[in-house]
Amino acid sequence: MKNFLKNHGIWVLFAGAVIAAALALMSFFNASPLVNITGVLTSPFRSGYTAVATWFNDKQAYYKDIKALEAENAALKKTIAEMEETVRQAQADRDENELLRQLLGLRAQRRDLSDLEAATITERSVTNWVSSFTLNKGTTHGVEVGNSVIDATGALVGVISEAGYNWSTVLTTVDTDTSLGARVFRTKELGIAQGDFSLMGEDLLRLDYLPSDADLLAGDLVETSGLGGFYPSGLVIGYVKEVRMDDSGASSYAIVTPAADLDALTEVFVVKSFEIVT
Amino acid sequence: MLARNETIIKWGLYAAVSLLGALAQGILGQSIALLGVIPFLFPLFAAIPATYEASAPGTAFALAVGVFCDLLLPAPLPCFYTLVFPLVGLFSALLSESILPAGYLCSAVASAFGFFLTGLFHIFLLWMDGKAPASAAFRTMVLEFLITLPAVFPMTAMYRWIYRKTHLDN
Repeated sequence: MKNFLKNHGIWVLFAGAVIAAALALMSFFNASPLVNITGVLTSPFRSGYTAVATWFNDKQAYYKDIKALEAENAALKKTIAEMEETVRQAQADRDENELLRQLLGLRAQRRDLSDLEAATITERSVTNWVSSFTLNKGTTHGVEVGNSVIDATGALVGVISEAGYNWSTVLTTVDTDTSLGARVFRTKELGIAQGDFSLMGEDLLRLDYLPSDADLLAGDLVETSGLGGFYPSGLVIGYVKEVRMDDSGASSYAIVTPAADLDALTEVFVVKSFEIVT
Repeated sequence: MLARNETIIKWGLYAAVSLLGALAQGILGQSIALLGVIPFLFPLFAAIPATYEASAPGTAFALAVGVFCDLLLPAPLPCFYTLVFPLVGLFSALLSESILPAGYLCSAVASAFGFFLTGLFHIFLLWMDGKAPASAAFRTMVLEFLITLPAVFPMTAMYRWIYRKTHLDN
C-alpha cells in the first residue's frame, strides 16, 4: 500500500482533485447527483410517511370536526326545540286570539247575550241513539243545565243537558230530546223545532206545530222565538230544507238543516245568561 | 272453587279488559262508521263475560257495566243501561249454561241479544215520547250490531283467556 501511494500518490491526488472539481462544477449547474439519488431513494418513504401523517391529521381534524358538529347540532336542536315551542305557543295564542275576536264580535252583535263562556268540545256522540257533545267547561265555570250553546257565528248548537264540575254535556239541536220554541224569520210564524230520530242520522230536525196556512219556502231562516224565556230569542237554528205534510194531511211540518256545522265544530260558546228582548 | 284472591283477580281482569274496550270505543268509535252508524262496544262487556260465568255473577257483572255506562254515557233515562244490561247478562249466562257452550258463537248470539234488547228499549222510550220511527230505529239497531260484530271475536278471546287462566283445574 505504501509503495502504491509512493509510486502513484500524485496520480490519486490528481484524480481526486479532478473528481472534486467535476462535482463542484456539476453542483453549480444542477442538483447534486448524490442529493438527487438520495431524494429518489427516499421519495417513496417520504410519500408514505406524509400520507400516514396526513391521514392521521385528517382523522384528528375529523374527530375535532365531529365533536364541534355534535356540539353545534345539540345547540341547534335545542334552538329548534325552543323555536318549535314558540311556534306552538304562537299557534295556540293565535287560535285563542281568533276565538276571542269572534267572541268580541259576537258580543258586539248580540248585546242581549250578556255572559258567554268559551268551551272546547272534548268528545262527540258515543252512541247512535243520542246526538251530544261533551264540553270542557262545567259548574265551576258557571255552566248550568238548560244553558244554550252557540257557535262563533251565533248559530244554536244545542242545550246543556248535564253539567259536572269541569265538564258538561250538550244535546244538539237534532237530538230527539231537544225541543225549542222557534220562529220563521221571514213570515214570523211560530212552531216547535225538535229532533226526530229518523232525521238525526242526517243531522236534520223538524219544525212542527206550524199554522195550517203556513207559507214556508226552502231556505227560510228559522230562529229561536225566545217565548217562555228559557232560551234567548233570535239564535239561528237553521234553514228550511223542505216542507212536508204530516200523515193526517191536516198540517205541515218543515225539515230544517241546522245552521251550525255539527260535524266540524270544535269550539263553542255557552250562553250563561241573557237579557229577555221583547 | 276458586280461592278468594283468584276470584278477585279474575273479576278485576274482566273489568280491566272492559275498560280497555271502553277506551277503544272512545278512541276508535268516532272514526269507524257504517252508513253513519258507529260501533258500540258496551253491550259486549255485559254479554260476553256472562257467557263464561254462572247466571248470578254474570248478571252482577253486567249490572256493574250498566251502572258504569249510565255514569259515562248520555241516555234517555238516567238508569237506562242499569236496567237493560243485567237482563243481557242473565240471558247470556243462561244461554251458555243450557243451549250454546261458551265460545265465539255463543258470544255473538249473546251480543246480538244485547243489541236487540238495548235497541228495543230505546225504541220503547221513543215510542213513549211519541217519536217512534220504527224503521229508522230498527235500521240503527241492526247496523250497530253489524259494525260491532267484528269486535266480538277479540273481546271473546280476551275474556276466554282470563277465564281459562283462572280456571286451570277445569
